[in-house]
Amino acid sequence: MLVPIFNLKIHHKVNPRMVTVGKYDGKHPALTCATTAGKVLIHSPHTRGQRGGRVDTTKDQDINLLNINQQVSSVCAGSLNGKNDILAIGTQTNILAYDVNNNSDLFYKDCADGANCIVIGKLGTIIEPMVLIGGNCSLQGYNQDGNDIFWTVTGDNVCSLALVDFNAQGQNQLVVGSEDFDIRVFREDEIIAEMTETEAITSLCPMMDSRFGYALANGTVGVYDRSARYWRIKSKNQALTIHSFDIDSDGVAELITGWSNGKIDARSDRTGEVIFKDNFASAVAGIVQAEYRLDGTQQLLCVSTEGEIKAYNPAPAEMRGNLMDANLEQDTIRELSLRKQNLQMELKNYDENTKAGVLALQMQQTAAASGNKFSAEKPFPPGGELDQQAMGVIPASTQLQTTLTVNPGEEGKPPHVELFVGTTNDTIIRTVLLFAEGIFDGESHVVHPHPSILSNCLKCPIVPPKDLPVDLHIKAFVGYKSSGQYHVFELTRQLPRFSMYALCKPDIPEPKSSVTYQVNDRVQRVLLWINQSFLLQDDISCEGNLNVAFMSLRGSGPVIIQMETSGQVVIKTDDMDMAGDVLQAMASFLNIDDLQSTADFPEEMEKLRELLVKVDEFHVVRQKLTAEMADHSNLIRSMVVRAEDARLMGDMKNMRKGYLELYNLNRDLINGYKIRCSNHTELLASLKIVNQIIQKSGRLRVGKYKTQVISACRQAIKSNNVSSLFKIIKTGS
Amino acid sequence: MMELNLSRVDYLQVGVTSQKSTKLFPGAVGKTQRIVVGDQDGLLQCLQMKKGDAQVIFKAVSPKGITRVELGGPVGGARERVFLSTGSEIKGFTKKGKNFLSFDTNLSEPIQSMFVEGADLFTCGNYVYNHYKDCKDTNYFLSADKISDVLCLPMEKNDDITPVLACQDRVLRVLQDAELLYEVEVPGPPVVLQLYGKEAGEEGNEILYGTSDGRVGLVQIGRFAPSHRWELPNEKRNGGVLSLDNFDITADGVLDLIVGRDDGLVEIYSYDEAEEPVQRFNHTLSESVTSVQGGCVATPGYDEIVCTTYAGWVSTLTSEPLIKERGPDTFSLTAEGKDKIVGLRQELDNLQVKVSSEREKYQQSAGSKTAISAVSGFNINDKFVLNREDASYTLSLELQLPIDNVLLQVSLELQLPIDNVLLQSDVPIDLLDVEKNSAVVSYSACNPEEGNYLLATYRCQANTTRLELKIRSIEGQYGTLQAYVTPRVQPKTCQVKQYNIKPLSLHQRTHVFDDNRPLNTVKLTGQFSLAEMHSWVSFCLPELPERTPPGETITFHFMSTFLDTLLECVYSKGEAVFRSDNISTISILKDVLTKEATKKKIRLDISYDINDESIAYTLNLIHPRLEYQLLLAKKVQLIDALKELQVHEEDLTFMSPEYRQILEEADALQAEFKRQPCHLERLYGMITDLYIDKFKFKGVNVKGKVPALLEVLDNYDLQTLVEFFNTSA
Repeated sequence: MLVPIFNLKIHHKVNPRMVTVGKYDGKHPALTCATTAGKVLIHSPHTRGQRGGRVDTTKDQDINLLNINQQVSSVCAGSLNGKNDILAIGTQTNILAYDVNNNSDLFYKDCADGANCIVIGKLGTIIEPMVLIGGNCSLQGYNQDGNDIFWTVTGDNVCSLALVDFNAQGQNQLVVGSEDFDIRVFREDEIIAEMTETEAITSLCPMMDSRFGYALANGTVGVYDRSARYWRIKSKNQALTIHSFDIDSDGVAELITGWSNGKIDARSDRTGEVIFKDNFASAVAGIVQAEYRLDGTQQLLCVSTEGEIKAYNPAPAEMRGNLMDANLEQDTIRELSLRKQNLQMELKNYDENTKAGVLALQMQQTAAASGNKFSAEKPFPPGGELDQQAMGVIPASTQLQTTLTVNPGEEGKPPHVELFVGTTNDTIIRTVLLFAEGIFDGESHVVHPHPSILSNCLKCPIVPPKDLPVDLHIKAFVGYKSSGQYHVFELTRQLPRFSMYALCKPDIPEPKSSVTYQVNDRVQRVLLWINQSFLLQDDISCEGNLNVAFMSLRGSGPVIIQMETSGQVVIKTDDMDMAGDVLQAMASFLNIDDLQSTADFPEEMEKLRELLVKVDEFHVVRQKLTAEMADHSNLIRSMVVRAEDARLMGDMKNMRKGYLELYNLNRDLINGYKIRCSNHTELLASLKIVNQIIQKSGRLRVGKYKTQVISACRQAIKSNNVSSLFKIIKTGS
Repeated sequence: MMELNLSRVDYLQVGVTSQKSTKLFPGAVGKTQRIVVGDQDGLLQCLQMKKGDAQVIFKAVSPKGITRVELGGPVGGARERVFLSTGSEIKGFTKKGKNFLSFDTNLSEPIQSMFVEGADLFTCGNYVYNHYKDCKDTNYFLSADKISDVLCLPMEKNDDITPVLACQDRVLRVLQDAELLYEVEVPGPPVVLQLYGKEAGEEGNEILYGTSDGRVGLVQIGRFAPSHRWELPNEKRNGGVLSLDNFDITADGVLDLIVGRDDGLVEIYSYDEAEEPVQRFNHTLSESVTSVQGGCVATPGYDEIVCTTYAGWVSTLTSEPLIKERGPDTFSLTAEGKDKIVGLRQELDNLQVKVSSEREKYQQSAGSKTAISAVSGFNINDKFVLNREDASYTLSLELQLPIDNVLLQVSLELQLPIDNVLLQSDVPIDLLDVEKNSAVVSYSACNPEEGNYLLATYRCQANTTRLELKIRSIEGQYGTLQAYVTPRVQPKTCQVKQYNIKPLSLHQRTHVFDDNRPLNTVKLTGQFSLAEMHSWVSFCLPELPERTPPGETITFHFMSTFLDTLLECVYSKGEAVFRSDNISTISILKDVLTKEATKKKIRLDISYDINDESIAYTLNLIHPRLEYQLLLAKKVQLIDALKELQVHEEDLTFMSPEYRQILEEADALQAEFKRQPCHLERLYGMITDLYIDKFKFKGVNVKGKVPALLEVLDNYDLQTLVEFFNTSA
């Protein structure tokens, strides 16, 4: 059994996911965590830090506290100059790069998009190492002088980052997990891979070679090798932090997961099998590795939210990977016996089925002879032994039929995709259980009708929130009304990507906006793609030019897809997102690497124009408020002095007056602050939408054109050139 | 104290086992003991362990499941004869396996529990106790509630035959001949009885009991009155007790207490100077432990505890070190182990072939128009109990096979691995998280109009055979909870289990009633029979016997587990009187009973007598809890801020003693706060109900005033609250 080599308590709370370790003097590692009330603690048992500046004293000699005076949202230590590590601290509005050794700020920058997560390292061909920050829809990279030399946008708020050698070319790519359930891989500012998960991606960590681990908000952890998922598991607890570490000394790093219930487990990177586990009393806040005892071996350091630290050495080779004290012999025997038992049970089931079948056949014959009707509901002689056993009986020929249709909705019923499940005889369907990822609140949806309306068919409404192909795992409980035991029919149906669109006549009013592009493929191929991707009763066929119209069930209006024999495709819709989805899906079906398009979205552009005006306003307000605040604080200072003077001189009347004024001023200041706060949230929301529009316009192109649009948009925004921004979004360059 | 170091070894697997169906033959010094085990498939096996392998000494098959296995012998002599109960029959075997007794009791109910003492045989069905002497019926007793276990004090030390019955209504009934001598009240529904040591203590009258809510106690059955010696509370909320034994595993000359629970926990307690038990060791098996017994089975000289689980695993916790044979190299297997594994693999392969051909046959039958697909039911060991400590229900499900999924509406135990469990409820209830279970729960949106207040699926991890769920109900809201359990076995089927959430679901039977409390009374008269009334009352309240108890007038007492208010039900043909200090209880009863009577088209005349003092009394009962909870919430809120101060200050003496105390007790406070989620909300809910119900009896609807009440509660003070109740409306 592997036991911690040391165990210590730092008596501070530790914020989850905000743990890092750095060699701030270039030699000695120091564990660093964000703690409550805007502080960062540095545990440096090997060097006694100096005091002053941001550094605060504590009782514990090994611990220094940094006052940030803002809610810390992320911390990361790493080297920007190749020598000692610096500490990067992100808050909702700023990024601070701090040189712990010299107790000085390296740089302190505003970042309006917030800093949800930080990594430090080299990216792609950029020579300088950078502090990479993931914010609201944006990614930024600062070099050691504090210049932002890297910027791009992504689909939603970033919640995790990792640098992984994704292509195994010796260069790092940036893997970004965001709140829209997507993992995107950036080679500098170009997206080279996109994987869709089932929840927000809360943690990512590089593993060996091109593999990386991920954790989701719903308790899933797993490992990807490039864009293919190796394995994943789901727990009812939440995985707070993941890290890769070779704990069994077999030369391959395992995925170490820290859970919200205080459990830590190490899983094999190939199979996900647990090879080691341990427990904390409270949730695990962070897992890092460092040579913490300066003895030449790397230790795995696990930190709990209550400030308990456990450190593990990699297991010695003679343990041969058996870290859990498992008794292999007993375990194997137990497992084999279990399998044996399961098979025996199954055999018994078949056996009893045969026996019951004989009896039921007799009943059937007597029923036929006497002219009575036979039903599998009561197949056995009443009062007999089998009759009393309450067996689950249905005719063996029972089959389950399923169909998927688009239901445009009616009064009191929103539009939805309808799954029809029915049996072929007089049996009833008690309940249908649907397991599918990403389309229900939980992982499953249940349809359990009232007992009085049970019949041999059931309709399940499904409303997929996103345009994604989904596998529906259907479990239907089939039996009779009087049954206490049901047969479970299991089958899987695929829901096509664009299932929430109903086919309609092409003469519906045309949307104002459209995107136009050229493909070098036949109309029939595109038609094939449409037949596969949309939920259609019958396949569409057409001669010559293609013109298909759909109505979105999510209320974003009609979508018209037209294609001429020349290869020009027009997607007409007012929903820029939808246009991007269709274009991207079609491009990947037709294997198009690069695609340029002309986008004409007057409404969206009008929205953007308004937004940009608003953003300007917010900036003005902010500046004004900041100035006011500075004014006020000066005033306060002088007022305090005056009031205190009055007190010392015993002039109570003036003192009272002074403090009253001070009180009023303070109230004004607080009000001002509140306004500033709401102004800031609105600014943030607007900036997020701007970023999203840029991202959407990127999605209307493929490959290098996509990168081009995004970086050109960024340039335009930086230089505040609004008219060129519109042009770029429209033409793509 | 020396640390106990026991390791688990599995011997073999039999069918699903009932409680107390494994026994060890008495052994001689230096020799190993034989195991005799009976399962619900009707198979009795007597086994001898040889080199880690179980060898069958004899086998016997009965057509029905074996419910109990007991050992008997001459009074005071060695117990070497095996007795088993199956259906309504008792069978006896010698230690060589010769069937010397087959005795059909001809009882209508199957025998549930049995005890053998010399030539006396004691059997119990669900309600009926019978005593046979030399297979001749001598005594008979009808219990008022379900009997779960029986034993008889040793005759060596007692002149009279003194049988003791463990009954569901929280009492042990001590009998003399066919008469009830007296009743011993115990803190929970007793499910298992065990003599204290072989001799039942020095005076031969000490017995241990275990309850379904996890308590263990020792009681001395005196001649005329019992005396309670000690009681182990169930603070950690472990599972219910299923099996007990006394065995000196610590080898200190004093018997230790061994407890097996239905959540798979096996515990060993030794006694301290005051003869109170102290826990020394625990181990968790994954399934309910139906029998535990200490002895020496595998290797002479090494004591062990043989445990049998619900799914039929006969395992042992042995003091024999396993490391020595394993050596440092954990991958090498012992020769016996290797043989066993090879043998099992071979068996599996053969089975696999057989199963494949059968599976094919089964699938082919789908083409036939006349064939049926009949899958027999699987055993589900389920339990739905009220926990007194936090006033919530625990549902546990156990299968013999792994569960695939459970659709909830509630807890299960099967012999099968569970695939999933679907829970469905037509009552608003809350599902609480149980730390022990690893199943992934997902809630589904549901529509109360379709009769679904809750739809939740539990997708189980591989090889889960036991699932425990916790449910919080609200008094007055009643209905059924259904669990659809799907085990991971082909052909896949699912079984439905139903559980009633009763209107007064948080009440518990007691045997005392305080007449001095201010009581509200509701009196119902009408043309109903006693049986009808009983069925209505048992519809409303838990822990009542299914059948109508004997007698013309029936009296039951209940206590609310949440508020400690009392309820008395007295009913006879044509009249029923309910008295309670809690007006909400009365109101719920009145509503439900009228509804039930209307269903049967019986006219009820209702008269009630509301005692206004009872309101203040109930509020006073709630007061200490509410105050405590409010204070606790306040303290917990302060902890973070205080801790921050602590970090910066070397000396904490400047703080008030109150704050310093909070800091000192921070962990305990937080743990307690975490343990009772929503406690405050529940109390608020009860007070609101009380308020509404009080005025409902006066014919005033005060729903509009509830916000005002909540405001009063926010600035809680008992006096203002009482005044609010008195003045408003």
